[in-house]
Amino acid sequence: MENKRVKKSNPNLFSLLKPYKGLIFMLVLLTILANGLNLAVPKIISSAIDTYSLGNFVLTKVVMTFSIVAILIFIFTYLQNIVQIYAAERVARDLRTRLAAKISEQDHTFIDRVTPSKLLTNLTSDVDAVKSFVSQAIANIISSVFLIIGASVLLILTNWRLALAVLVVVPIIGFTFFIVLRKVRKLFTRSQEAIDWLNKVINESILGSALIRLVNSQQYEYQKFLDANTEAKTISLSILNLFASLVPLVTFLTNLATLLILMLGGHFVITGTMTLGGFMAFNSYLAILIFPILIISFMSNVIAQAAASYGRIEEVLYAEEKKDNGTIVSELSGNVALSDVTLELGEKAILKDISFEAKKNTRTAIIGPTAAGKTQLLYILTGLVVPTSGEVLFDEKNINEYKKEKLHEQIGFVFQDSILFNLTLRENIAFSNTVGDEDLKKAISTAELQDFIQELPEGLDTVVSERGTSLSGGQKQRVMLARALALNPKVLLLDDFTARVDNRTEKKILENVTANYPGITLISVTQKISSVEHYDQIILLMEGEIIAKGTHSEMLECPEYMQIYNSQESTEQYELQA
Amino acid sequence: MNYKLKKFEKGEREMKFRTAWKSIKPLLRDEKYSLYFALIAIVINSAVNLLAPFIIARTIDTYIAHKDIHGVLMLSILLAFIYLFGLVAGYLQVKIMGGVGRRVLFKLRNSIFTKLQELPVAFFNQNQAGDLISRINNDTDKLNQFFSQALVQFVGNAFLMLGAGIFILSLNIKLGFASLLPAVIVIIITQLISAWIKRTSVKSLQSLGGMSGEIQESLQNFKVIVAFNRLDYFRKKFNIVNQENYKASVKAGVASNILNPIYGIASNIAQIVVLGYGIILIASGNLTVGLLVGFLLYTNNFYTPLRQLASIWASLQLALASLDRISEVLSLESDIKVIEEEKTIKNGGILTFKKVSFKYTDSKEIFHDVSFTLESGKTYALVGPTGGGKTTTASLMARLFDPTSGMIYLDGKDICSVSLAERTKKIGFILQEPFLFTGTVRENILYGNEEYQSYTSEQLLDLLKKEELDSLLSRFEKGLDTLVGRGDAISLGQKQLIAFMRAVLRKPQLLILDEATANIDTVTEQLLEEILLKLPKETTKVIIAHRLNTIQNADDIFFVNAGKVTDAGSFDEAIKMLMNGKRTS
Repeated sequence: MENKRVKKSNPNLFSLLKPYKGLIFMLVLLTILANGLNLAVPKIISSAIDTYSLGNFVLTKVVMTFSIVAILIFIFTYLQNIVQIYAAERVARDLRTRLAAKISEQDHTFIDRVTPSKLLTNLTSDVDAVKSFVSQAIANIISSVFLIIGASVLLILTNWRLALAVLVVVPIIGFTFFIVLRKVRKLFTRSQEAIDWLNKVINESILGSALIRLVNSQQYEYQKFLDANTEAKTISLSILNLFASLVPLVTFLTNLATLLILMLGGHFVITGTMTLGGFMAFNSYLAILIFPILIISFMSNVIAQAAASYGRIEEVLYAEEKKDNGTIVSELSGNVALSDVTLELGEKAILKDISFEAKKNTRTAIIGPTAAGKTQLLYILTGLVVPTSGEVLFDEKNINEYKKEKLHEQIGFVFQDSILFNLTLRENIAFSNTVGDEDLKKAISTAELQDFIQELPEGLDTVVSERGTSLSGGQKQRVMLARALALNPKVLLLDDFTARVDNRTEKKILENVTANYPGITLISVTQKISSVEHYDQIILLMEGEIIAKGTHSEMLECPEYMQIYNSQESTEQYELQA
Repeated sequence: MNYKLKKFEKGEREMKFRTAWKSIKPLLRDEKYSLYFALIAIVINSAVNLLAPFIIARTIDTYIAHKDIHGVLMLSILLAFIYLFGLVAGYLQVKIMGGVGRRVLFKLRNSIFTKLQELPVAFFNQNQAGDLISRINNDTDKLNQFFSQALVQFVGNAFLMLGAGIFILSLNIKLGFASLLPAVIVIIITQLISAWIKRTSVKSLQSLGGMSGEIQESLQNFKVIVAFNRLDYFRKKFNIVNQENYKASVKAGVASNILNPIYGIASNIAQIVVLGYGIILIASGNLTVGLLVGFLLYTNNFYTPLRQLASIWASLQLALASLDRISEVLSLESDIKVIEEEKTIKNGGILTFKKVSFKYTDSKEIFHDVSFTLESGKTYALVGPTGGGKTTTASLMARLFDPTSGMIYLDGKDICSVSLAERTKKIGFILQEPFLFTGTVRENILYGNEEYQSYTSEQLLDLLKKEELDSLLSRFEKGLDTLVGRGDAISLGQKQLIAFMRAVLRKPQLLILDEATANIDTVTEQLLEEILLKLPKETTKVIIAHRLNTIQNADDIFFVNAGKVTDAGSFDEAIKMLMNGKRTS
């Protein structure tokens, strides 16, 4: 009866348990066995005393029976506990695995939209709530439902009129649950959102720790945290208020039922329509009915929280899937083209009608002012961002016709912002599983990292700290280049790679790339004209539009290009020396 | 200094009842009155629970059995009142203790976060963000749960158990001791295995922290994972930590649930003992059957709350494990402290390095005996190969780190004695990797800037115009109200523009630009240079850049490499040093 009600308000929490039917069955069975045997103990004692009074008492026999029962209870309770933990942890682990699998099928805009802080809560706190539901509530609820049904039948059989009087209370209690749980579920959802908020504030305060210390804004950060924490506290106090009244209220209602029986039953016994023995029996069945109702009310907290958390988890689990319909797995030859590509984010057009071609074994530079859309252009080429309209072509075929993973294996991308993992240098560079030792070595020497790595006491096995904080800007940049090169890519995309590397090193590295990776298509976003003058093609991008493209000498006729060129000319002589 | 938080617990001390209380007590310092009130509510509630069955029994035995409907009514009314008391007491008990739990949670979270704000940058470079988040969010919640749920039951059950225990002993001392013997044994067992329970709890919390760290890092860097086609790798890495967490949690669960069956069997053994011994006593005429029956009931009344206490004890171990992880953060002290004593030097310019040596934890020495002086109003450039120590030099100037030895003077005063407010007001530092908070451009350029916080948009626009920063603002779609910080709609160059505006608006005396314009196009960069030139005459600028045009106007150039900071003198000289490949790294 109770079970149905819970099912109605959140059908999916129980459906989550389907794959664990066996475990749950064992759990319920063990719970019933352990509890049932516990009921036998008073029986043993009373019969022992009875037999003693009758005089045919054998102490050892009683002790033996009792000991066997005690040991069985021990075993069953122990097993029940273990099955319970095992079931709960397995449900949690599998749910996390499913979540991670789902997340890994999404593109990076999904992560951006849902935000990492929420996904972190989903994978930790939300899953924990579901886990508590399994470990604390399931066995109790199921065995409670059995008990309630059983006791109700016994009550009706004993005295149906009294039974009806009692059972009137049950729907009232059910209704109270319904109201409170509906209210509280929203609160629990908000409370988990407050956790998302806390995650975000803490995370930003860690990522921005240097800035915070430089502008002395610790107090301000604390205020932000306090806002989130206060919100969390306020919500959790409202939840507390509801439950602080729910549990005593349910207890009170069941107590009233007892009182009702005492009066009505007393009346029946006094008027002679019921025997005293019958009344006593009724009373003890009543106790059996009330106990599980109280248990469920204690568990309602766990149930409501799990329901709210699972609701949040489902949003991710049943998010729309990004299907990879691509089938082409052949090697790229390296011809890249964009045709009429437009990208809009919100109302804003980031890129407008971009078309260009980069043939294999050529070098293309993209230059242009800050916020011209250069980085987004590279993201489109890697498939990280899907254009609003237009086509991305590799070897004259649409990017969507390629199997994503095959494509990613052949495009090396050096990001502008330093993204390194808290792994060894080796793992950071050989980041893809297709990388062999030779590839690794070649990538390291091409990125001019050999000296740096040799000097490290642990060499390639040096662990890079989270966010790469143990490396200098230029080192990070070169490690990221090596990571891209280790793929042996057909197309190499550099996003402002030269910004943090000194000229000498930059020049050497680019020479190395040409020598070690012949035939590669290079597309480089850069600010420095001097390093790309001899490139096959230079594209000038401004405010999302291609202003001009051509070789350096052709471009010199474009006034905007000239302006950029002139802004750099003053140091040209030194750049050339370098 | 080493700020690395422990990964594994070693040399676990035995958990005694008293030491447990000692760790919990300070958290409850401000909750004295709440605890008293809760105690009263708990006592009333327990009394109701004891009294009600007694009254019912009496109603049946005396009134119903004797067909006295009036008596039944009277006692029913009494019972109704008692139940009402129970309702109120029950409500107060949950509410007060729940409140205590939430407040402890609230305060603990605040104090960890405050501690994080006190700790230097080095701390964040040495610890995983996700693990810290887990400590603030998850570990504190374990304590909340303990206070709100377990502690209530603890007091009520302890009362019941003590009452029953005393009663048993007063009924028959010999039989009493016999029946309590199993309890003594299991309590000793509990003491012995508590450390194990706690250890497994710590491991499970640690694995949760580790998992949280893994998730955090992967999600933060998701685009690399996608671009390098390593979604399988993300799954695999996640599955490893997930599996670890699973194993650790199962172990912790098994450990903390072992007490329940043990106490169950202890209760049954006690009853066997009482039954057997009782019957022997009856045979020798020292006990009556009636007393034995009563005794068995009280034994039960003693052991049922004891079993409850055992499960509370297990959740206490989890709470203590959480507290350990929290205390570990709270006990860290920043070594970047403002000291009282003032050492001053004369003619020190705005900033002076005197025999400064520096090394990061676990690294070789980066600088050895470096000395130089920056004079007020001049522009300095730091050049050198990547990894040569330019950023480290700048970080030392801004006191993100303290030197291993030697002194740094700011405006003639030992930088260690300059207050945080004064130091941060004097020094502006545009970091190599700009960081934006989720929010608007306005919020970000005014971040940490009290002065203009209350400005209206018009006032702020006027101000930006005055500082000639308004042209930079036009790079943002919606001007001051453009949303930034999340996602990739904002490029690194744009972030650098915001960081630039943020720093310039603060009007520092010493402005450090660490490759602050590296990703900005050269045309805009010229604009930034002009803005820098218009800063007040006395502003000292320190510029780190690879692009040489950004440094050619410097008054003085330092060449930073191989543990040394050398005054290169002229621009040409500096170029020569760069060209000559003076580098060891």
